Amino acid sequence: MDFSFKEETILLKNNAARYLKEKCPGSLVKNIIKDEKGFSPAIWKEMAEMGWFGLIYDEQYGGIGGSFFDLFILFEEMGKVLLPSPFFTSAILSGMVIREAGDANLKAEYLPSIIRGEKILTVGLLDERGRYDYEQPNLEAKESSDGSYAVEGTRILVPYAHIAHEILVCAHVNGVKAEGPTLLKIHGQADGQKKIPLDTLTGEKTFAVVYENVNVSAKDVIGSIGKGATYLNKIITHATILKCGEMLGGLERVVEMTVEYAKQRQQFGRPIGSFQVIQHYCVDMATFLETTRLITYQAASLLSEDIPCHKEIAMAKAWCSDAYKKSTWTAQQIHGGIGFTEEHDLHLFYKHAKALELEFGDSWIHRKKVAEEMGL
Amino acid sequence: MKFTFTEEQNQFRQEVRDFLRAELEAGTFSVHCGGLIEGSFQEFSRKMAKRGWIGLTWPKEHGGQGRTYVEKAILMEELMKVQAPIGYHFLADRQVGPAIIYFGSQWQKEYFLPRIVRADDGMRFCLLFSEPNAGSDLVAVSTTAVKDGDIYIIKGQKVWTSGGHLADYGWLLARTNMDSSIPRHLSCSEFIIDMKSPGLTVRPIINMAGKHSFNEVFLDDVRVPKRFLVGQENGGFKQIMAQVDYERAGFERLMQNYALFEQLKSHVRQRGKSGFGDEFYSWIKDSIAQLEIEFNVGRLLCYYTAWTIDQGKQPTNEAALCKAYCTQYEQRLNDVATRVLGPLSQIRGETRWTAFAGDLAESYLWAPSYNLQGGTVEILKNIVALRKLGLPRS
Repeated sequence: MDFSFKEETILLKNNAARYLKEKCPGSLVKNIIKDEKGFSPAIWKEMAEMGWFGLIYDEQYGGIGGSFFDLFILFEEMGKVLLPSPFFTSAILSGMVIREAGDANLKAEYLPSIIRGEKILTVGLLDERGRYDYEQPNLEAKESSDGSYAVEGTRILVPYAHIAHEILVCAHVNGVKAEGPTLLKIHGQADGQKKIPLDTLTGEKTFAVVYENVNVSAKDVIGSIGKGATYLNKIITHATILKCGEMLGGLERVVEMTVEYAKQRQQFGRPIGSFQVIQHYCVDMATFLETTRLITYQAASLLSEDIPCHKEIAMAKAWCSDAYKKSTWTAQQIHGGIGFTEEHDLHLFYKHAKALELEFGDSWIHRKKVAEEMGL
Repeated sequence: MKFTFTEEQNQFRQEVRDFLRAELEAGTFSVHCGGLIEGSFQEFSRKMAKRGWIGLTWPKEHGGQGRTYVEKAILMEELMKVQAPIGYHFLADRQVGPAIIYFGSQWQKEYFLPRIVRADDGMRFCLLFSEPNAGSDLVAVSTTAVKDGDIYIIKGQKVWTSGGHLADYGWLLARTNMDSSIPRHLSCSEFIIDMKSPGLTVRPIINMAGKHSFNEVFLDDVRVPKRFLVGQENGGFKQIMAQVDYERAGFERLMQNYALFEQLKSHVRQRGKSGFGDEFYSWIKDSIAQLEIEFNVGRLLCYYTAWTIDQGKQPTNEAALCKAYCTQYEQRLNDVATRVLGPLSQIRGETRWTAFAGDLAESYLWAPSYNLQGGTVEILKNIVALRKLGLPRS
């Protein structure tokens, strides 16, 4: 057991914290949400230059070859500012799909440009009922006589679909020789697809993408036919923990903001933080924070070292989904009316906590996984 | 960051496990809840002493092994898993020894420390802190210790003295400066007191589980030689506050009912989905998974607190937060367990219908004490609020 960071991790953490704090105030985040693009190209460029998109990828693709744990720490820092950007969907989800399932050509074609931030890719994982359906996708890819595929179906909550060069999906391939869930890349401007903007809690740019007889060529199949779910299981495991890192960062910020507010806000002639009821609320939040830190660091660290940790990952997501959400509820209560205004930043975290609770499964779903790991 | 143990640590854990398995097989003790509180078993403590497992973290010059708090946590985790009967040496090892090392006189070190690490006769301790009017507000103690030449004369009453009826010595907090203009925390001192002293009476208190675990202790002009004063006269409260951080948070706060959790898990596995019905089983699965997560979170807090001490830091905040969290988990555990077993859970004693050897009912009965002993959850939260979060005093 060693709870200290490596030198290089501290360096990355501090640099990221400094950069994000300076460049991404709440006011910027709120402007980006209202903006058409949904991200800041200037910051995007700088993040690419700092090597963030290539942190975990091999040097041959222009990556840094860093550890997964360091990437987790970067997500923790990003969770503190909630900067909207396609970082996660492009450089992480799409990048990992290509790294795990793609052949040498595909990797050479896409990884360097994703890492440089020149190409933005996204992934559509949810069906119309809001399920991660990649084991049995409700998206059909029927093989035609010329060997290409006709894709039919709908993906919802596809982030940044409006600017994506490619949208990656897992479709049920119905082929002559093989069938099953299969990863496909579909060009962002392919004929026959309709992108419907969705307004959501967080305001992040996200879309429903409807495919009507969209033609996809055989070379757009990523990896083996029928293996889509196998690739995605591994990728989503990693993605889930990065989202836990983001939640940890958000939770840290919420506790910090709220304790600070409790010290300053005067009522009844004294700071409200001097009332025990407020103190105990704050300690409950701080306890959620410390425990979330330990349980998520554990999963990230084990995953980074390739030590089997299905149970630890499920424990982390279950725990931080509840801890973060409940802490934002308490934070809203302590802030009172000011926390309910658009001007204040607290609502960004309140929304983020709910959105991330629902992403990749809430606490109940992950407790089910824990129970299965326990042999129940 | 490393969430795995070193080769040596794994080896140490294995040594402890092997020892405990052999003891269990030999029938020295059996696994049941409450072993820590009730089990007073000097023979067992002596066996641990021979292996150097008492005073594990104490410096070598004081008869200890100079090992880390993480190793101590490993030892405790394994002991608590089987609810080993460590009551004879537990307090002396955890609390008394370290306090003597920090604050004690040369004579106290030479007399007590070697005897404690050997689990010698006459080395069982109890704590004489709480009083009828000084519970959470410990600094309000009104028991007095008046100096008279080479002795102190102690007068007052203590309460909630766990194991007081079994102890050879008490670790006492008493007022040594009666000047009411002096701040209360600067007027108390710590003493070691012989429980067989004339004028000292121990009266049992029967707890709501029907057990005699704690006591009232009456001190009627008990004479304590000056050499039993620990540390500075009037410095006792500060000493307690400095010391308690090191002893507050350990696996004994998380795992007093571990046997129950293990039995619960294997019971549910054995009976399976069909044995409970789909709907009930899905509630059980969810509830037990939540407990498993909470337990693992608590376990990390315990190791984190131990590691913090090993870094040479005062673990005030970590320990308070850890203990507050862990004791609350213990309460939830027996709530879930009794509901899974249903009405059967109420049956105490040995009958053909008793589940888990009666541990369910016992655990539920003991539960209210967990959040009280050694600082209530609310007092611990006050500590975290003021010292970790820097919130203003109420």
